[in-house]
Amino acid sequence: MNTKRNAVFAYGLLVPALLVVAVLLVYPMYLALNASFRKGQTSNFSKINELPFTLDNYQNILTDSAFWHSLWISIQYTFFSTAIGFAIGLVTALLLNRNFRGRRLVRTLILVPWAIPGVVVSLGFIWILDASYGIMNAMLRSLGIISANIAWLSNPNYALWAVILPTAWKGYPFFTLMLLAALQSVPVELYEAGRVDGASKWRLFANITWPGIRPAAVLSLVLNGLWAFREFDFIYSMTRGGPMGATETLAVKIYNQAFSFFHQSAAAALGMLTFLICIISVLTVYPLIKEQFFGGSR
Amino acid sequence: MKKLQSMLPGTLALLLSLIMLFPLYWMFNTSIMPTSEILSLNPPLWPTLSKINFDAYVSILHNTPILRWFANSLNITLWSSAISMGISILAGYSLSRFRTRGQAVMGFFLLVNRMLPGTLIIIPIFIMTNSLHLINNPLAVILTNITAIVPFATWMMKGFFDSIPVELEEAGFVDGCSRLKALVRIILPLTAPGLAATGIYSAVLAWSDFLFARSLLLESSQWTITVGTISFIGQYMVQWSSLMAMGFLSVVPMIVLFFLLEPFFVRGMTSGAVKG
Repeated sequence: MNTKRNAVFAYGLLVPALLVVAVLLVYPMYLALNASFRKGQTSNFSKINELPFTLDNYQNILTDSAFWHSLWISIQYTFFSTAIGFAIGLVTALLLNRNFRGRRLVRTLILVPWAIPGVVVSLGFIWILDASYGIMNAMLRSLGIISANIAWLSNPNYALWAVILPTAWKGYPFFTLMLLAALQSVPVELYEAGRVDGASKWRLFANITWPGIRPAAVLSLVLNGLWAFREFDFIYSMTRGGPMGATETLAVKIYNQAFSFFHQSAAAALGMLTFLICIISVLTVYPLIKEQFFGGSR
Repeated sequence: MKKLQSMLPGTLALLLSLIMLFPLYWMFNTSIMPTSEILSLNPPLWPTLSKINFDAYVSILHNTPILRWFANSLNITLWSSAISMGISILAGYSLSRFRTRGQAVMGFFLLVNRMLPGTLIIIPIFIMTNSLHLINNPLAVILTNITAIVPFATWMMKGFFDSIPVELEEAGFVDGCSRLKALVRIILPLTAPGLAATGIYSAVLAWSDFLFARSLLLESSQWTITVGTISFIGQYMVQWSSLMAMGFLSVVPMIVLFFLLEPFFVRGMTSGAVKG
């Protein structure tokens, strides 16, 4: 009797969460999947399911070079924003793992970008990267790195870097946090033993620190990569995917298709393919991360 | 020398944090400088004291619906966070204390949530919102935010409940507490840091939302601060002071909240409580 009552209680507590998931995740997913197999377009989003069934959307996308172009842009965007974020995150985590006065305040300062909305970050970088009066150009000029101003956002050769920068800036605190947590669980005795043996700083890092934080590093790279791959806010608010598609990642292309060109079925099919790419990527690295996939923030 | 060496990490960390905060500083600096100072090929890195003014802030308060958008954002953030937390507390407690199928189901959706492109899910959500005549209704954005928050918030809460010994509520049962009463009276007060951590996670996610609000709120009077701010890009492009003032104002609530709750957030994240 008691165990039965417990079971009712246990599931009862889960009802609201499951309801949210069912109504706002499972059902919409079904709608999206359904829409991705529909032919033609309609100005009335609600009528999309009355259109005839077709596989054309998928076929058109896979044979369109614009899709492969966007995939390549997505890969570059994900790779560089994650790599830069990771590098900053690792350095800041190593510094914060040392004991010094005012560490708590510095830690808060370093983590602040995490709390800033992506579009506001973008707004700041639009100004920093402004072609005429941006501080980035002024600094690079005074350092002698460039001789003439660069139109970061309107030059197709630089636009991708212009959107990678704010993404990495918003993303690095996540690495700081994950790596700091891992660093704090590395036993101090190991370092002492290493120092007694006369190991150099680099050897201490390579043989003690890195093995200790590697699982957390891999997991955080995967989670941040997934986040960046699906990211919309930065690119949309800075370039909307332009100039000439130079920053049109898959995530942005889905939105443009659906809400600028009103090709909802094509957009849904594109979204499904993007989702599939995420699933395949996670399955590929799953053996490396299965131990702690459910940890971490985001 | 020894002393110098011991000061090195702290100095380096402080220096690095200041470099990293440069974009925020630059937004603020631009917002308090007159246009003549800003539109220079070599803008000064420090504000000229005699020229500091808050005209840009006065101007946006007078000429834009920023207060309205602020109120909209606040409304959406509070409701999204409150409802998400309520749901996550109950679900997290269940996952922590009982072995049910819920474990696998919620784990699966956490995974899906992390792989599902927001721009994909917003298409069917738009269709649903449209057929329910909820376009321009903040409720639509609140509900969508909740879906984005709940899976991970539940997992966070589960981690915090896991760190509290079961014996505590068992003692409560002996004293005649019901399960729910034990959760509210005994367990929740002990998870206060966990609630703070989950709370800030929820609030930051809801306040930062751009995609959902942008797609579901078409009437400018219903916009959130993120949608409103972005709408001025292009339109206000030449008035950098105003644009930066707007951007800076919109992040103040989150910065304040973050400074207040950061210790809980970091402790929650780093204590291994959320390793699942």
